[in-house]
Amino acid sequence: MTDRERFNNQMHYRPVDRCFNMEFGYWNENFRVWPMFRENEITSNGQADAFLNFDKNVNLGTVWMWPLFEEKTISETVDKRVMINKEGLLAEVPKDGHDTIAHFIKSSVVTPDDWKKVKEERFRRDDLKRQIDVEAWQKRHPRDRTYPLGVSCGSMIGKVRNVLTLEGLAYAVYDYPDMVEDMVETCCVLIEDFLDQVLPHLDFDYASGWEDIAAKNGPLVTMDFFKSVVVPRYKRINAKLKAHGIDIWYTDCDGDVRKMLPYFLESGINCLFPFEVNCGGHPTHLLDEYGKDLRIMGGIDKMALARGPEEIKKYLKSVERLVERGGYIPFCDHRCPPDVKQDYYLYYLDLKEQMFGMKG
Amino acid sequence: MAKSLSECIIKGDHAGAVAIVKDALDEGTSAKAILNDGLIAGMAVVGERFKRNEVYIPEVLISARAMKMAMEVLAPRLAEAGVEPIAKAVIGTVQGDLHDIGKNLVVMMLKGAGFEVIDIGVDARPPAFVNAVKTTGAQIVGLSALLTTTMPAMEGTIRAIKEACPDVKAIVGGAPVTADYARRIGADGYGADAASAVDVAKGLLS
Repeated sequence: MTDRERFNNQMHYRPVDRCFNMEFGYWNENFRVWPMFRENEITSNGQADAFLNFDKNVNLGTVWMWPLFEEKTISETVDKRVMINKEGLLAEVPKDGHDTIAHFIKSSVVTPDDWKKVKEERFRRDDLKRQIDVEAWQKRHPRDRTYPLGVSCGSMIGKVRNVLTLEGLAYAVYDYPDMVEDMVETCCVLIEDFLDQVLPHLDFDYASGWEDIAAKNGPLVTMDFFKSVVVPRYKRINAKLKAHGIDIWYTDCDGDVRKMLPYFLESGINCLFPFEVNCGGHPTHLLDEYGKDLRIMGGIDKMALARGPEEIKKYLKSVERLVERGGYIPFCDHRCPPDVKQDYYLYYLDLKEQMFGMKG
Repeated sequence: MAKSLSECIIKGDHAGAVAIVKDALDEGTSAKAILNDGLIAGMAVVGERFKRNEVYIPEVLISARAMKMAMEVLAPRLAEAGVEPIAKAVIGTVQGDLHDIGKNLVVMMLKGAGFEVIDIGVDARPPAFVNAVKTTGAQIVGLSALLTTTMPAMEGTIRAIKEACPDVKAIVGGAPVTADYARRIGADGYGADAASAVDVAKGLLS
């Protein structure tokens, strides 16, 4: 079976020769501290995928702000830098580059006037950069390819949250709801423009998206806003996907997405990724509750990986029936952090391959 | 007054909350009554709804903003009247972690419950926690971590705090933190979320 056949079969509950073999990547620190990466000069997730011989999977499309803001350092201390980042946020970051979410101080967009300016400068539909070289994409990803090909449907609200900051989004939904709705609409229209260019000409196997609009305690946007503003835009996109035969759409959303899940499913988003176990619970809970309407990619508890072989074995046993059932591809529930020892990680990969058929 | 003010806090109506506080003060209502019966009562409802997953972080943020703006009007009159906070709490995100939303939520909820909160910010090393507790006389210290890689800093930080200030009570919380982990590292309490952290803090005081 090719990687493409395997992925499509597994996601559609059809028989497979073995489980699709993939992982979600690593923190930057892992490339420095894990000997196998360091000694083999592996410095990126793409290189790691090839090194560890995972199945090939390609995802196309990056529709967002263009041009990005110019990164600029505003001030520095001994160990931190305050800067304007590429999305126009005033952010504090560590100078030593250790992995942490930045401390976001202020957004470039607070009022409707701010948004109007940023929209005119950086979200123009007619920007030439938004034109896709469809012919080049067709040549690079022909119809007889052996790997699954995904089309990115971007983000409706997660990236809006990036631009506004979490607190900024909460206040803006209250103070300037029309502005936030226009930001969501802008995201949608740009994705629609992109899909109109590519969907007629490439046969994608799945669609993807990114939101990160939930935390451990649930949604980071009000449910009223999510239902009334975001969901209709998902539905518009789904109509285009369905018209071109794409019936698998995953969204990358960390945190506890359970409150939003019914609306994801209603919209056509039918697969969760990477499914953080510490936030959303064990994948069996939702897969049992929603049956074959829901798929999950990920859901292997990174904290179990950190605890060592016994816990790893126990956890993989707990997802065995999900892999057999289909609609579930197991991998670490986010980028694997450096507090997972390399030896434990390799034990996990070996056991996963052994249990789910990847080892010949 | 109290019911209307609470409603404004619950709905996040900051303009309404400020107007009611001003009117109430002009009418001679005591600052303490405004605080306890209006503002704190409103945030308590928000906290309960947050614990029950009836509202989420965005609703808490706008309620907390309404409380903060109302408190800006009320604070001078509370000071005049000699109204004391129920306790002092030092809150920070631990060393190596620049993430602040969890910490900020706890700060908001503690203030909403009548605590005086000393926010020492992000990437706070153990001496920063110790100094803040010593200089303010805080009874509670709260540590937040978002990442599995920064969570280990909590243990050393708690050890340093307890060595310097044995009577202070330490609460930990954050995405990767669990009650079991909190126990193992010698914390006095674990906050599963910002609202629960307030309950834990109050419980530790008594």
